[in-house]
Amino acid sequence: MKNVTGDLDKTGEALKKLLPAEDFLTFDFPAEGGIDFCILFADALTDKELLGEQVIAPLRAYRGKPLAEEVKSALTSPETKTEKSLEKLAEEVLIGNPVVLFSDMDMGIVVGTKKIPVRAIAEPPTDVTIKGPREGFIEDFKTNTSLIRRRLKTGELKIDTLSVGRRSSTTVAVCYLDGTAPKETVEQIKKKLGEIDIDIIPDSSYLTHFLASRPYSLVKQVGTTEKPDIFCAKLAEGRVGILADGSPIALTLPYLIIEDFQSSEDYFVPPYRATFTRLLRLFALVVAIYLPAFYVAAQLFKLQLFPVKLLLTIAGSIRDIPFSPSLEMLLVLLVLEVLNEASIRMPKYVGMALSVVGALVLGETAVSAGFVSTPAIIIIAFSGIGLYAVPNLIEQTSVLRLFMLLVAGSVGTYGIILATAFIILYLVTTENFGVPLVAPFSPMVGRDLRDSLIKYNLGSLDKRPRTLHSPNKRRLA
Amino acid sequence: MRFKKFLQTVPMKLWIILIVVVLFSFFSNDFGLVDIQKTAIILAAGIDKTENGFSLTAQIAVPKGSDRTTGGTSSVEIGAEGETVSDCVSLIFSETGWVPKLVFCDLIVLGEDAAREVDVISHLNYFLRNDYMPDSCLLAVCEGKAEELISSTSAIDDASSLAIEKLFSEAAVKSGKVLTNTLKDFAIDYYGVSKCSFLPYVRMKEQEGGQNDSQTAAGGGGGTSSGGGEEKQQIYIAEETALFREGKMVGLLPREQTLALSLLEGNVFTGTFNTEGDGSPVTLTVMKNEGGISLDSAHAPKAELSLSVTVRLCCRGVTAPVEDIASDSVSEDILQSAKATLTEYVQKLWDLCKESKCDVFQLKRMLYRSSLKKYAEWKDVLLEAVTPVIHTQVISMK
Amino acid sequence: MKKISTRQLLFFLACIMPVGKLVLLPARLADTSKNDLLFPLLVSYLVQAAAIFCALLVAKKGMTFYELLANTFGKIVAKILITLFAVFLLFAAFLPILEQKLFVQSVFYDTLPSFVAFAPFFLFAAYLLSKPLTSHGRVWDILAPLSVVGILGILILSLSSADFSALAPVGAAGWKGFFRGTMSATAWFFDAALLLPLLGTFRYEKGLAWKGTVCYLAGGAVVALFVAMFYGIFQEISPNQLFAFTATSKYFSGISMLGRIDYIFIFALGLVMSFYVTLPLKESIECVLEAYGRPRYLPTLLALAVTALFLALVVIFDYRFTEVLGFFTETVFWIIPIFSVAIPPLLLLLRRKRHAV
Repeated sequence: MKNVTGDLDKTGEALKKLLPAEDFLTFDFPAEGGIDFCILFADALTDKELLGEQVIAPLRAYRGKPLAEEVKSALTSPETKTEKSLEKLAEEVLIGNPVVLFSDMDMGIVVGTKKIPVRAIAEPPTDVTIKGPREGFIEDFKTNTSLIRRRLKTGELKIDTLSVGRRSSTTVAVCYLDGTAPKETVEQIKKKLGEIDIDIIPDSSYLTHFLASRPYSLVKQVGTTEKPDIFCAKLAEGRVGILADGSPIALTLPYLIIEDFQSSEDYFVPPYRATFTRLLRLFALVVAIYLPAFYVAAQLFKLQLFPVKLLLTIAGSIRDIPFSPSLEMLLVLLVLEVLNEASIRMPKYVGMALSVVGALVLGETAVSAGFVSTPAIIIIAFSGIGLYAVPNLIEQTSVLRLFMLLVAGSVGTYGIILATAFIILYLVTTENFGVPLVAPFSPMVGRDLRDSLIKYNLGSLDKRPRTLHSPNKRRLA
Repeated sequence: MRFKKFLQTVPMKLWIILIVVVLFSFFSNDFGLVDIQKTAIILAAGIDKTENGFSLTAQIAVPKGSDRTTGGTSSVEIGAEGETVSDCVSLIFSETGWVPKLVFCDLIVLGEDAAREVDVISHLNYFLRNDYMPDSCLLAVCEGKAEELISSTSAIDDASSLAIEKLFSEAAVKSGKVLTNTLKDFAIDYYGVSKCSFLPYVRMKEQEGGQNDSQTAAGGGGGTSSGGGEEKQQIYIAEETALFREGKMVGLLPREQTLALSLLEGNVFTGTFNTEGDGSPVTLTVMKNEGGISLDSAHAPKAELSLSVTVRLCCRGVTAPVEDIASDSVSEDILQSAKATLTEYVQKLWDLCKESKCDVFQLKRMLYRSSLKKYAEWKDVLLEAVTPVIHTQVISMK
Repeated sequence: MKKISTRQLLFFLACIMPVGKLVLLPARLADTSKNDLLFPLLVSYLVQAAAIFCALLVAKKGMTFYELLANTFGKIVAKILITLFAVFLLFAAFLPILEQKLFVQSVFYDTLPSFVAFAPFFLFAAYLLSKPLTSHGRVWDILAPLSVVGILGILILSLSSADFSALAPVGAAGWKGFFRGTMSATAWFFDAALLLPLLGTFRYEKGLAWKGTVCYLAGGAVVALFVAMFYGIFQEISPNQLFAFTATSKYFSGISMLGRIDYIFIFALGLVMSFYVTLPLKESIECVLEAYGRPRYLPTLLALAVTALFLALVVIFDYRFTEVLGFFTETVFWIIPIFSVAIPPLLLLLRRKRHAV
C-alpha cells in the first residue's frame, strides 16, 4: 500500500510498518460528530501541548463531514497540509510533524507542531570578536535562516532547499542573492549536491568532500563560517552559501585562501589596523610552518643561518641531549600535538590540570632531565602560538608543519625551498567552481588586492571582487 | 577499466611513496651531513711558518652545556702542522674527529715569520678557495707566533679571538687607532695592479697581576695546543699597521702613521691625537674628518694627500682655570701646532711607504683607472717618481 | 588557466628572466672581460631584446609555433623543425640546471653534501613538467614579487660595499675580452627562444611587443646594475665568486649583529630559480606534444622521461662542470644564438594567413 485509504486501521498499520519504532505513538479518539480520528506522531519531536490545543481539542468538538478541507479549517494550527503518500507522511512524522488520519478519507493532514530542542544563539567559540556582531549559527536550520533573513531583507535572497542523505534526509539549503551570485556557480553547486548519494549527512563538513574539485587534497577548498554576519557579507560579495540542518557551520563557495586571513573585525576597525593584523596573521602562519623546519635544517645543514652567539647558546643547550636535532624537534612537536588534542577533548576542569602537567611538569622536567633542549621548546611554543593566529587553517598548517620538519630533517634548507615550490605550484593550479584558490594573488587581480592582505578604506571597495565573476559588479553607489 | 582505476589511484600511491621516502631519509639521512654536534666551530685561525711548511692553530668554540650559569664563550685551541693549510685542517679533523667548519671564522692571524718570509696568499689561498669560508673575515699579523697569540688567555674576554676582534670593531676603526682589513679586500689589493696592502699588527702585553687558571685545552695534531694550568692574562694592542707588497710584509707603520692613514681615508670620528701648546702636551679630539688621496698624472705624476680635521680640545697637560675647562675651542697656536704634527705624520707615512716600496695609497690603481697610457708609462717607477703634496687643515670647533 | 595573460608574460620578462643571469654569468664575464664586463652583457641584452621584439610580433599571427611552421612548410618539415627546437631547449636547459646544482650545494649547505641532496629537485621537476604550460603563468604571478623583493633586498644590502670606480678604465680588456665575454654570455641568453613555445598560449594585445621589450630591458638594467655592483665589490677576485648573488650581500654591516638575514633574499631567488630552470624542459615537452598530438598519458610519460634524462646527465657530469662550461661558452657557443636570435625574425617572414594543413 502506497497511499492512504479510507480504512483507518489499515492505513494506521501501514504507517506503523514504515515506522515500527516504539517512540512513534498513535492516539485514537472519536469526534463528537462521529468521525474516528487517529493521530500519529513522534514522541520526542512533537510539541504535545500544541498538539492538544491546536489539533485534538478542535477535532474532538468537530461535528462536520469527513472532508479534508473542512477538517483542516477546523484546526487552529497555521501550518497544515494534506498528503496522500504514506511515505511522505512517514517522513513528516520523522521530522516531528504529527499526521492526522480519519475514517472514510483517503488522505492525511500534516500539522506543523514539531518541537525540536535547540540551543540558544551564542557566540561561536571558533570565531570570537571584540568588536562586531557576536551571534553565531546553531544546529537548527530554521533559526539559521532567520538569522540570515534578518540581515538580508530582500527578495533577492534565495534559499533553495534540498534533501540530502538517504537515511538522514538532511535539509540542505543553497543560499544566494539572485543577480549577484553567478548563475552557473549556483547551478553547479545544486547539481553537485543533488548528485550526493550517501546515507547520512551528520554535519555540513560531509558536504565539502563532494563540493571540492580535489576531494583528497590537504588544501581547504570550501569556506566555512559560524557567523551569520560573515555569511551574509559573503553572499553580498557574490558567493553562494550552504546551510545544513543540524550543523552550526555554514559553507561558502567559491572559496579563496585569503578569506581565512580576514576576520569580521577587520571591517570594523581602521584599514591600517586591519592591514597590520592581516600581515601579522600571515607572518604568524609562516613562522608556525617554517620555524621548526628551519631550526632543524640550520642545525643539521646550515649553521650560518644562526648568528654566532645564538649558535653557541644553542650548541650549549643541545650538548647533552641524547637525540639528533631533527628527532628532538619531532618528539617535542608530537608532544605538543598530543597535548593540544587532549586539551580540546578533555572536560574544562581537567584542562587546567592538563596545562600544568603539559607546560610545567613535562616541559620543565624534560629540559632538566636533558631529554629536550630549551631552544627546541621555545621554537615549538612559538610555532604553536603562530598556528592559532589563523584558526581556520589549523588542520592544514599543522600537517604542513610536520611535513616541512620531515623534509628539513632529510634534505635541509633546500628541501624546504623545494617543498615550498611544490606547495606554490599545487595552490596556483587548484580551482574550485572556476575560481582559483590563491586569487587575487595568482592570477593577480589588482582591484581585488584592495581587500586581501592589505585592506583599503570601505569607500575604495566600491566593486565586488572580480575574481568571483558576479554579474552585479558595483556594490557601493 | 581495471587499468583506469589503477591510474586514478596513482597520485595517492605516489604520495605514500614520497612520504615513506621522506620518513626513511629523515631517520637515516646522511647526505654528507655534519650536524652541530659533530662540528668544530672555528672562531679564529692562526698561521705560522715552520721548517716543514705551516702550522695552523684553530680556536674552536666549546659549548658550555645546558646548565650554563655564566655567559660567554669557552674555547679550545687545537694546532696541526702540514705542508699546506689544507693539510693542517685535515689533520685537525683526523685527530679530533670534529669536522672543522670555517663558516664562523672571523679572524685569521698570521705569525710574523709567515708574513715576512712567504707570500701570504700561499696560505690564504685555502681560505679564498673555500666556498664555505666567509671572505669577510678579518686578517691580522702578530708579533711572534700566531699560535701564541691565539692560545693566549685574554684578560678581557673568554676567547683571545673575541678580544682581538674587539680591537677591530667599527668604533676602534673610527678612533683612528687601528686600520682593519678583510680577506676579500686584502686579496683584491694583492691581485690588483698595485699588489700592495696593509694589515693590522697585533702585539700581546702581559696584564700585570692577572692570572687565569680555568682555561681548558685539548691536545692537538702537531702538539701545538695550549696547555692547561695557570696562565698569564694578556691584553692586545693593534695600533701599528703592517705593510705588504706582493704578499710579503715589508714594513710597519707606527701608531702615528696608522692614524695618519686613517685620517687620509677620512674615517676618523672622535679619535684623539697629541700635539703641543705652550710647551705642554695637548690632546685634541677629531670631531670631523675629511681626507683624500688623489693622483694628478697630467704631467709628472703628483700625489695629493689631503686631510681636514675639525677638532675640539680634549685635555691639556697644564692646570687650567674653570673658564678654560668649559671651553671646547682650540687656540690658534695649538691649531698651528696640530697642523704641523699631522703634516709630519703624513710625511713620515709617505717616507715609510716609499722606503718599503709599498703603494698603500693605491696610487698605481688610481693611475690605471684614470689612464691606461699613463699607467703603461709610469707603472714601474710610480712610487719613486711621484711627488707628494700634503694639504693639512685643522679647524677648531666653535 | 587556459591562457597566459599579458601581465604574466610581462612579469616573466621583467622579473623572472633576470634571475637566471645572476648566478654564474657575472663571474664568467669578469673572467673573460675583466672590468669591461658590462659591454658584452649590454650587447647580449640588446640583441636578445630585438629577438624578443620579433618573437612577440610573431604572436600577432595568433598561431602556435608549430602551427606557424606547418602553415608554411607543411606538417612533415614542421615536425622535423619543432623536434630540433625541442632538442635545442633541452640543450639550453642543461647548463642552468647544472648551475642550479652547484648553487644548491654551495649555498644551502655548509659542508659539501652528497648528490642525493640535490635529487629532490628532479622530483619537483617531474611534477612541474606534468602540469600544463599555462600553469607557469600563474606561478609567475607569485614569483614576480618574490623575485623583485629578492633582487632589491640583495641590491640594498650590497650597494654600500661596491666601488664602482673599479669598472674603469674602459677598454682595458680590449676587443678580445669583449668578444670572449660576448661569446661566453650566449650560454645564458636564450630568452627569445623561450618565448616561441609560448606562442598561442597568450593573446597579442596592442603594443605588447614594445611593452615586452621594455620589460625585458628593464630586467636587463637591473642585471647590469647588479653585475656592475658585483664587480665593484670583488674587483680582481670577481672570477672566483661563482655564485654572484649569494656573495655580494654578506658585507652588510648589520649582518654581524643579526646573522645572515640576506639568506631570506637568497632563498627567495633560489625558489624563483627552481621554476625558471625547468621552463625550457617543459617547453621542450610542449613542442613535442603540439607536433605529435597528446594521447592521454604521453605528457606524464614525457615528463618522467625528460626528468630521468636530466637526472642521468647531472650524475654523469657531476664533477665535470668546468668542462661543460667550457664546452657551452667556447666550443658550441654559436648554437644558442642560431635558435634564440635568428629564428624569431625569420618567423616574421613566414606565411601570414592560416593555410589549411
